[in-house]
Parts: sequence; C-alpha cells; structure tokens
Amino acid sequence: MSKALVCPCEDVTASEVEHAISKGYRDVESVKRYTGFGTGMCQGKECLTAVARLLEAKCQPTPRADQLLPFTPRPPLFPTELSHWASLGFDAQHAPAGGVPTALGITTPALRPEAPVPSRAKVVIIGGGIMGLALAYNLADRGETDVVVLDKGYLCAGASGRNGGGIRAQWGTPTLITLARRSIELMKRFARDMGINVWFRQGGYLFLAKSDAVVARIERSAKLHNEHGVPTEILTPSAAREVVPQLTLAGVKAAAWNPKDAVIFPWPFVWGYAAQAQKHGVKVETFTRVQGFELSAGKIVKVVTDRGDIACERVVLAAGAWSPEVAKLAGVHLPNEPHRHEICSTEPLKPFLGPLVSVLDSGLYFSQSMRGELVGGMGDPREPAGMNLGSTSRFLARYAAALTEQLPQAGRVKVLRQWSGPYDVTPDNSPILGPTPGLNNLLQLSGFVGHGFMMAPAVAERMAAWMMTGESDELFERFTLSRFAEGRMEREDMIIG
Amino acid sequence: MSQRLSPLTAPITLDLDGETIPAREGEPVAASLIAAGELLFSRSPKYHRPRGPFCLSGACSHCLMRVDGVPNVPTCRVPARAGMHLERQNALPDARVDLLRAADFVFRSWFNHHEFLAGVPIAEDVLQRVARKLSGLGVLPEKPAPGRAPAVKEEHEVVIAGAGAAGLAAAKRLAERGVTHTLFEREREVGGRLLLGLDPDAPAVWQPASDRLRAGALVVGLFADEARPFLVTVEKDRVHVIFYRALILALGGQPFLPTFPNNDLPGVMADRAVAALIRRHEVLPGKTIACVGDPAAAEALSSVVRKAGGHPVAVGAEPLRAHGLRQVDAVTVRTGDREEKVRCDVIAVCGCTAPSFELARAGGAKVAWEPRAKTFVVEADGQGRTANASLFVAGELTGPKSAGQAAASGVAAAEAIAGGAR
Repeated sequence: MSKALVCPCEDVTASEVEHAISKGYRDVESVKRYTGFGTGMCQGKECLTAVARLLEAKCQPTPRADQLLPFTPRPPLFPTELSHWASLGFDAQHAPAGGVPTALGITTPALRPEAPVPSRAKVVIIGGGIMGLALAYNLADRGETDVVVLDKGYLCAGASGRNGGGIRAQWGTPTLITLARRSIELMKRFARDMGINVWFRQGGYLFLAKSDAVVARIERSAKLHNEHGVPTEILTPSAAREVVPQLTLAGVKAAAWNPKDAVIFPWPFVWGYAAQAQKHGVKVETFTRVQGFELSAGKIVKVVTDRGDIACERVVLAAGAWSPEVAKLAGVHLPNEPHRHEICSTEPLKPFLGPLVSVLDSGLYFSQSMRGELVGGMGDPREPAGMNLGSTSRFLARYAAALTEQLPQAGRVKVLRQWSGPYDVTPDNSPILGPTPGLNNLLQLSGFVGHGFMMAPAVAERMAAWMMTGESDELFERFTLSRFAEGRMEREDMIIG
Repeated sequence: MSQRLSPLTAPITLDLDGETIPAREGEPVAASLIAAGELLFSRSPKYHRPRGPFCLSGACSHCLMRVDGVPNVPTCRVPARAGMHLERQNALPDARVDLLRAADFVFRSWFNHHEFLAGVPIAEDVLQRVARKLSGLGVLPEKPAPGRAPAVKEEHEVVIAGAGAAGLAAAKRLAERGVTHTLFEREREVGGRLLLGLDPDAPAVWQPASDRLRAGALVVGLFADEARPFLVTVEKDRVHVIFYRALILALGGQPFLPTFPNNDLPGVMADRAVAALIRRHEVLPGKTIACVGDPAAAEALSSVVRKAGGHPVAVGAEPLRAHGLRQVDAVTVRTGDREEKVRCDVIAVCGCTAPSFELARAGGAKVAWEPRAKTFVVEADGQGRTANASLFVAGELTGPKSAGQAAASGVAAAEAIAGGAR
C-alpha cells in the first residue's frame, strides 16, 4: 500500500504521527514515545527532521521555533557492539561522574501551556508518573473526579518512562509479595480495562546467585514466596541452563526461578491511566511546575504552580525521586535520595530470551523486550546520591562486560541507545506512604527504590480505597514517614538494578 | 539498469542468499549489490515492505543485512571481501516473496499497535504471541565476538572530527598556524562531500600529513564521565578513548527522508548517495534518474548524472508519489501547477540534508529549530564557538552550506583555536 513513511526503521507513517497529534501528543518527546519513531537502528537520524516538519505543519496552533526541540541525546552515535564497550574498561574504585545529559528538555518552559490551571480541586496529585496517574484513575473510578495531576514534564519523562519494565513477585517481604501479585493481576487485565496494549509477557524471572550469602538469600526468600503462593523454585546451574540455554552461568552457584514473573512495556500504562482518568474528568496538566505551597493551620490550602494557584483539600506527593525537593517547598524533610541508574537497549533481535535474567550479586539484569531489544542495566555501587540523569561510557563498559560474561553471543550485538533514570531510595528500601506528621492533608506516595512501576497498580488501588473510605490499611500505617523518627525500619533486600 | 562506470578488473565474489555477486574488493558491499542490479536489501520491520539503500552514509536502516553471521550490519559501511556471506533479513520465506507483506495490505495506512485488539479476549493473547514471534530484526549471532584488545587511551591537543569540506579546511589552517592537531575520519579517504562533485565552489581536496590523520576511525560517542570530556572511536575493531584540549566537530549533514507516499521504495536514494555511487564507487545506480526536490541541489546532481552517461529527469520537481512494486519504476511530480508521472529507475531526493547535531548536543552545545532551513541546527558564533568552551563546530552542523561556505567556517573555527593558543 502507498504509505508515506517518516521513520522507516520502525515503519512509522505520516498518518500515525498525525494520529498522535490528534491524541494531544504534540512535542517531539511525546510523539517519539507514542509512535515509536526515532527508536530504531538509526536513532532518529533519518526521521527527526521529517517529523519536526510534520509537527510544524499539522499542529494547531503552529508550534513556535522554541517549542520544536530535538529529542535528548541517546548515546552512542552509531550502533556499537557490546564487545567493543566491554573492551573500554573502567576503574571500579572510581565513582562515576557527570555524563551525557540524557534528560535535557524534560521541563522546557516553552512547552508550558498558556492557559491557567484549575483554581480549585479536591485532590491535587503532584507527579504524573504511574503512581500519581494510577491513583487519579482509582480515585475517579471510585467517584472522586475533582482531581488535578501536575507534572513538570511530558508523560513518561520520569522514572515511569525510563525503567526496564520488569514485573516480579519474587520479593523479600510479605507486603511486597502481596502487592506485586495484585499488580500482576491488574496488569494482566490492563488492556481490557484501559483499552491499550501493554505487551504483558510472562517469561519469568531467573535470579542468579554467585556467592554463598546470595544463595542463602534466594533460598530464604523462595521459602517465603512459596508460603505466599508464589511458585519460586531454587535451581541448580544445569537446571537454570535449561531455562536459558545460551547462558554460561559462569561462577553461578544456584538460581531462583519463577515462571510467572513478567516483563511489560512501561509507557502504555502511563498513557492508559492518564486517558481513563481524563475520561472521568480528572485534569492532567503536563509541563507544569510546582513552585510552592500555601500553608494554614497545619494544612496545605493552596498549591502554587507556574500556571497559577490551586486551592485544594488534599495533596498527594507522588513525584518519585523528585519528591524530596517538592516536599521541601512545604517545609517537609523526606529521607529519600535520588540515585542514578543507567540502562541501555540493543538492536532488536528475533526472540530467543524468555525470562528476565538477573545476577543478584552484581545487580546486572537483562531481558528481551517485545520488540526484540535486549534491555538491561546494572547498578553502580560507587554511584553517589543526587539527581543526575547523565549517561556514561563507564556504565556501558561495566554492563557489557557483565552481560557478555553470562551471554557471550551478545558480544556482537550492538547497543543502540542508553539513558538513565532515578531510583527513589529510602533508608530501609521500603516506600513512604500515608500521612505527613505536621501537615495533615499532605499524603506521601513515594520511595519505591526502583520498583514503583510494578507496585503502582496495586498500591494506587489501596490508596484510593483508603482515601475514600477512611478504613484503616496497614500500608498507610506501617510505611509512614514517621517511622524513621520512631526508628521502625521495614527492610527489603531483593533490590536489583 | 545499473552499470559500472569502469570495468571490473580482478573481481571477487560475494554470496547473497546463495546467489553469486561480483564485486570490487574494498568497495562498500551496498555499492557491489547496486552495481549487480540488486536493490532489494531487506524487508521492513512491521509491514514487510521492500527496502533498498537510501543514504549510503550509515545514517539510515535501509541497507542492513546479516553479514558473515552478524545481524543488522549497514552494508554501506562494510568493505567487500571475497567470499562474504550476505543474508537479507526479516522475511518469510524470503525477501523476494515475503508472505508477511500481507500486513502492509491489511493495515492500509498504519497499524495502531496501542489499540489493535486491546482487551479482546483470546484475540489479544494470540496477538501478543504473534507479535512476539514476528518482532525483532535479525537473529542473535551464533558465535561470541572475537577477543577484543583493551581500549587505547590517547591524549590530544586539538581534535577535528570529520575530514570533509569544513574539517579539512580547519586542519589545513591549524597546520599553517603550527597548532598540533589530529583529524579523525570514518572513511578511508578524506574529502567527504568534496568528492561528490555537487558543489561548484568546492575547494580542491587537501591531503593532510599522514601523522595528523586517522582515517577509518568511527566516532561513536562524546562522553563526559571522567574529569575531562572524551571521544570514543572504533578503528580497525579496536576502541580508542580520545582526550582533547579542544574539539572541532565537522561531521557534516545526514540525509533525511522527505515525506511522500512510497518514499521507502528501493530506488529512492539521497542525492549524495547517488553522487557517491557515481563519483566514488563508479556505479551508475540507474539509467534514468529523477532528480527531485530542491532545485539547486537537483541541478547539481543532474549534471553529475549526465556526465556519467545517465539520464536525469524531473529535475527540481516536487515529488508527490513513488511508483513501483518491488522497486521504483516511476515518480509522480509537480512542476508549477502541472502534475505528471515520469518513468525512472531511481528517485534521487535532493537537498534533504540535516545537520549531524547529535554529538554537539551531547557535548553541551545548544541545538535549536531553524525555521527557514526547517532543520535542527547547532547554535554557534561566527567562529564556531558553542555553549561549551572546548567544543567548536564547523560546516553543516550550523545549517545548510555550500562546500565553499563550509570550508570557510572550518577556517574560522581553526583561527578561533589558533588565536587562543598564542
């Protein structure tokens, strides 16, 4: 058929870009994510100009020059083999620094809508990631539609749009196991409930353990999983090789395997919750920055934004790793700290890898996305705390070396792009939920340490119920901000990435 | 309908899906295939549309093939070697008769992957399984990579990336001023667009001293995760880390695809790709070549085509639609208010070159939309200074330029650095 292609790498047509515009996606980053243009082998070299011209010609009102921005840098410049990155080497003693700024343009003032925000709302949710949007949807579903969600960037700009899409029930505490199992249920029927495909694929999670301490850890948590109905098995290396024949399992002593764990494509969850919440009357305001709060008698009475003030009854802080800086505007100290986690994606390959594989000792993880890319990352023990969304060659060197140790055939597979996202790290690796001491109507919904995405459907469902009914729920009693002052830690040790 | 412009002496052979293709050793594999009349290189990811080479500069995905067991190799970047094994990817049963092309007819204008069968019981599960099976381009290599030597760390003074009009002019001026510098070029020969014969004001190709030149070095990144910024290059399969005091990015432009129906048919090529085939690789990609798009650029290409014995048509006309089943056989164009369908073997889209701004932006330079050129350009002063004090840009990075203008901007950037060096 006579299609007019804008992005031949991903077969994105001009009609598809026009459809995205009609859905309200008008900036380059959003259109890129919604249509997939610029995410293929050429990484936008062939298509970006054509798409920008199309946006200029088709968007009403016509975008100004400063509203047309190229997408943020995504190294490398050309697809480059993992074996080449592995040869780069790195200094394990050295802390990583700086990096290519892969988050440029998240909050471009030029893209801020001119119209003011609503002057009042019952609930203002700060943060339009999956947490905030899922909560907005659940509140609306329960009848509370007087809700405004604020985000300083485009949808998917934060960690919800930057994660690897892993979904697992293999956790170290009963609370997280229960939440994850409920989330998996909700994610399974997300397409039915929300009308958008999320490419949910139950390929399982294979955790590899190299040291005796980690073997003991997976054995302990497998027992807990089984008690809670999660069918985790401890496998010998040779049994693990039956799950993924290509693995070398170098240095691996045992593995934990749950075939029911899954991977998904993160972005449609964000769009799906947003679209359904909006259908119910919720207002989702992107490119809108919270600048302060007006407090009175131990309560927030107004949220001050760069598009006007919103008088409100309750405020939910769901800004992920950005939550501490927003809380500070209300004089509240959150103990969360942002930690950069880097991630990369390779060229798409025909499916060969079923599960998400993770080496628990090093934090290496990788899976094959629905599109066929190897998507993975590895946390850096030397990474300092602080908001930094830069991309480093050091990460590629570390990741490539660790990945090709386990999967040598990936040596000639090329890295297409890398980026980073912030983990929202709390002192005990558990979230911060519920009321704020001293500010009665500020509710916390943050601190998920890199796994908020997979917890969000279940947590938001319970938070909406708790907010609407007032019935007690242990989540919002045990995981409160006050626990740190009271010395009640809720430790979770199955953190990867 | 393609032809070699010089006799193929001492030919070698390549294997393309079991067929034997004659080739000249060292020429890009894509050029060998075009010379042999093969324009079908692969099938597209979703709709399985036929694809053939477009940019010949490593900036698109049209010419990817599996080469000697490695998937998704840009064949325009790989020199031909005797006995090379080439496979077309992403087709069932093969690229000539790809049954999966049905997707192109079922989804007539596009496939809504967000909503198609979303939430429809059973059908949804089938879709997920089918989509998973059909996903991906290329197959995991069967073998691990050969052992790679550790990366080489190097200290340099002034580094110039790109040895085209701007980069050569900058290097020449730095040499004249006695400033130590190194020129990195991904091709094995310097010159870039100066070799294409498209610019009447092009200066002669200046040959840098061999100890100043690193030819065959592909810059793959500009990073900033050490105390100082550095380039990462791949040269002869070895990684180099290049530290510098000052960097001039002179990477030129890359072709982009203008939007019109069937613009992805094999036989639609960038003007510079056609010129490179003729002037550098001595291959005329078709007898009749429609030179459409920007009139000045089209005029320049048509003269290169004519000199090579080709027949330029529809010169400077606006392309409305490409025609052809498996490759281009005609183009509908508009000239003034007249529309006509013109028979041709190749459609060369002229003047569709956008600045290669990516590295500059990664290095901290500002990039903005330029409404007259309708491209993104790097913001720099008259001497190529950017928002980052050690990063200079020259040539087409700041917008469309003739070769002469690009060379002048290279000289200006060199002067800015040489001046600072005194």
